[in-house]
Amino acid sequence: MFRIAIDRSLCSGFGSCVDAAPQLFRIGDDGIAVALFEKSDVPAVLEAARSCPMGAIALLDEQGQEAA
Amino acid sequence: MKSDPTFWLLARSSGLVAYALLAASVVLGLVVKSRPLGSSVSPAAVVDVHRFLALLGLGALALHGAALVADDAVDIGLGALLVPGVSPYRPVATTLGVLAAELMVVIYLSFSVRRRIGAKAWRALHWLTYLVFALATLHGLAAGTDSGRTWALAFYGAAVGAVLGALAWRLVVPPTQGGPRHVPNRDRQVAL
Repeated sequence: MFRIAIDRSLCSGFGSCVDAAPQLFRIGDDGIAVALFEKSDVPAVLEAARSCPMGAIALLDEQGQEAA
Repeated sequence: MKSDPTFWLLARSSGLVAYALLAASVVLGLVVKSRPLGSSVSPAAVVDVHRFLALLGLGALALHGAALVADDAVDIGLGALLVPGVSPYRPVATTLGVLAAELMVVIYLSFSVRRRIGAKAWRALHWLTYLVFALATLHGLAAGTDSGRTWALAFYGAAVGAVLGALAWRLVVPPTQGGPRHVPNRDRQVAL
């Protein structure tokens, strides 16, 4: 289970995360990605984090360490 | 004694390889968002390969520079390699290459320090990639020994065509998913 952390200062609204995992992310009205859930363990969340051109999505483990 | 042409041949071929890798990386960077192949290619793979090709391109560029210093066909030393404008061999054409190479290094490294410099500065630097590609194209055509050959012109034409094609696709065809255009659907029910 990963906690999803989006660095809002880095996100540029490419929407790659929405393409990779539409059930987990959307682009907000301000053009910045929003996670629809605080935590997730679906494989697509890894794909979404890896697809971010800005590397703005961090997946944190139970200890709050960056896991992916 | 006839001089060994190995480094001269290596310099020419690694220059062409570096240019091809740069063009391929630019094309992949342009299709991260526009996705002409739709969902058959994962965006994560495109981003990964985009970065990897840029790194490979820098590797080929290092080889290009090292081979030019090592060979004795042209008089290019370490100074001419690193400082724009001091090469005695085809000075203008070589300067374009030095500038393109140094900008490419800066753009590549900017990703690692994106948190420190911020997304705006990262983006501004990334815009310079168009300048890098233009400089590299002019450098290849003007400095390259093989530029007059039909195959070389076809090679440069194909690279420029691929980049312009990907750019046109990016500008003209709206993204299929994601991005701000997706916002009107934001109220739909989502379930895991």
